[in-house]
Amino acid sequence: MNPVLPAVAWCVLLLGAQLLRTKAFGRKALFAPAHGDPAAGVRYAFTGAMLPWAKESVRMNPVSYLTGILFHAGLMASFLLMAWPRKEAAPFALLGALAGLGLLAKRAFKKHLRAMSNGDDFVSNLLVTGFCALAAASPFLPSAATVLPWECAALLVYIPLGKIRHCVFFFLSRTHLGAFFGRRGTFPPAA
Amino acid sequence: MPELETIDLQKGLEVFKSRLQEADAAYLNACVHCGLCAESCHYYRMDPQPENIPAKKLDLIAQVFRRHCTALGKLGLQGKALDREMAKAWLDAVYGRCSLCGRCSLNCTIGIALPRIFRAARAAVTAMGLTPPDLQANVENALRHGNNMAISREDWVETVEWLEEELQTETGDPGARIPMDRKGAKYLFTVNPREPKFFPLSLQASAKVFWAAREDWTLASDGWDLTNYGLFNCNDKEAGAITQSLVDAMARLGCETLVVGECGHGYASARWEGPEWLGKSYPFKVISFLELMEQYLEEGRIQVDPSRNSQTVTLHDPCNLVRHGGITEPQRNILRRVAASFQEMTPNRAENFCCGGGGGQLAMAAYKERRIRSGGMKAGQIRDSGARVVVAPCHNCIDQLSELNKEYQLNVKIKTVAEMVADALVTAPPTGEA
Repeated sequence: MNPVLPAVAWCVLLLGAQLLRTKAFGRKALFAPAHGDPAAGVRYAFTGAMLPWAKESVRMNPVSYLTGILFHAGLMASFLLMAWPRKEAAPFALLGALAGLGLLAKRAFKKHLRAMSNGDDFVSNLLVTGFCALAAASPFLPSAATVLPWECAALLVYIPLGKIRHCVFFFLSRTHLGAFFGRRGTFPPAA
Repeated sequence: MPELETIDLQKGLEVFKSRLQEADAAYLNACVHCGLCAESCHYYRMDPQPENIPAKKLDLIAQVFRRHCTALGKLGLQGKALDREMAKAWLDAVYGRCSLCGRCSLNCTIGIALPRIFRAARAAVTAMGLTPPDLQANVENALRHGNNMAISREDWVETVEWLEEELQTETGDPGARIPMDRKGAKYLFTVNPREPKFFPLSLQASAKVFWAAREDWTLASDGWDLTNYGLFNCNDKEAGAITQSLVDAMARLGCETLVVGECGHGYASARWEGPEWLGKSYPFKVISFLELMEQYLEEGRIQVDPSRNSQTVTLHDPCNLVRHGGITEPQRNILRRVAASFQEMTPNRAENFCCGGGGGQLAMAAYKERRIRSGGMKAGQIRDSGARVVVAPCHNCIDQLSELNKEYQLNVKIKTVAEMVADALVTAPPTGEA
């Protein structure tokens, strides 16, 4: 039995329902005339605003930024390995797992981060890190390849229940942020 | 303020829910607790407590959202209820530890506009009657007296008459006017009540610029206060009523354009939020006085000598004017022309640090200690700039900067942009009424 397909269905269904519920909150018409271009703001929010030098939070924490990039790239590589088990993708998944462990350690040992963390933060990280580790091992270890679909299914089932739902809401949030600052003429910056 | 035991939690929850739109629901579902927002917050930078991390403040609100607005929450499987303890935590987080400056929004990994969520929580806190009373008093003064400092109409008019005489003396032009209630004037100029009350020379400086430009302008005897503390208590009905007084003044006088004096939240309220509070577009334009002064300089309508402002000048960017208002360059273009030496703070423009006085903090005595401490970021920026003069196009910021000047022994002069322009003016128009 392949547990991944029903898990995908569950994940898509619940994320879809959450997205529809979010859309149902609606948007109010705006009456103040725009100063800038909301569309340009959205474009900037997804491009220039995400470059490492554009945000002070990244400039001050370049290692965390890089670790986050590797974590997300490793997750993508791990999904790729599920569908297309090639040894070439394994190093990316391994880097993702290592990045996940790094982020987990940071959350556990940095005082301010630990203070603001909850169970979901740890569960989400462990599920993704575990998935990346198994995916990295799967081309080499048959036992890892056997467990991988179950780990993947667990991750997919959990996605709509915890913070990994940001895989959908990131795009919606950044769109709204870009439109807001674009309309007000803050995005893209003049200088 | 009512006791916590007697507050109407249901009302607070209803108001909170009523403010939520698609963007809010997206933001409340999106935070990943990465913590990278922490250092973007001046509260956290000066006092690194977990309670000062923007994401931690957001989480208090997201918990309530999950409990009351999601299917799993309604089954009791996630989130936390809005109970008395939570209401108290909201009050502390969104009134006591946030100036709604929005710096965290730009630095958020995801792109969450946190002040928008904090404003929804402030609205709920206000609906429960927990708004800090001194902040609420500003709103009530504006509703009852037409301005947030309860200045009587007679005092306002007399102050302007006195300033007109001063302007005539200063310019040597007996025809120099500070027009009041001139119907059909092109521009209606609105003022922060701090000016007639504490800083009349600031208003005189603006009048001098209008005089030098031979502008067709007026003040209003009613509907002259540009401030709107409804932006801070987040009661949209009250904020709308305050905005309406400006709209009424424009209609009564038949002016073309509303000019907002130097005030960050006043600009954001009149320019951006006012039409939304009223639920309709204005039949007139709203501009900042900074834009108008920049235009005068570009068109050569006023002549300036930068050597008259010989000391090195730096510029503070008020959050509501710059990051949330989109007025970033006019003040810089002006200062480059009227000051001999202009030195930017680091960071600046949309990345500026709040002075600590925003979000109504100046009106909330209970949080004064935190306000002064959080202003340490701005004090450091000023010191690092090496400037002897700090220009701030916002009277609330000026009040906070004046306190920081004493507290952190900065030894700087603090001025508005109009004061800088007025000091640099070299040409006078012919004698006679503009």
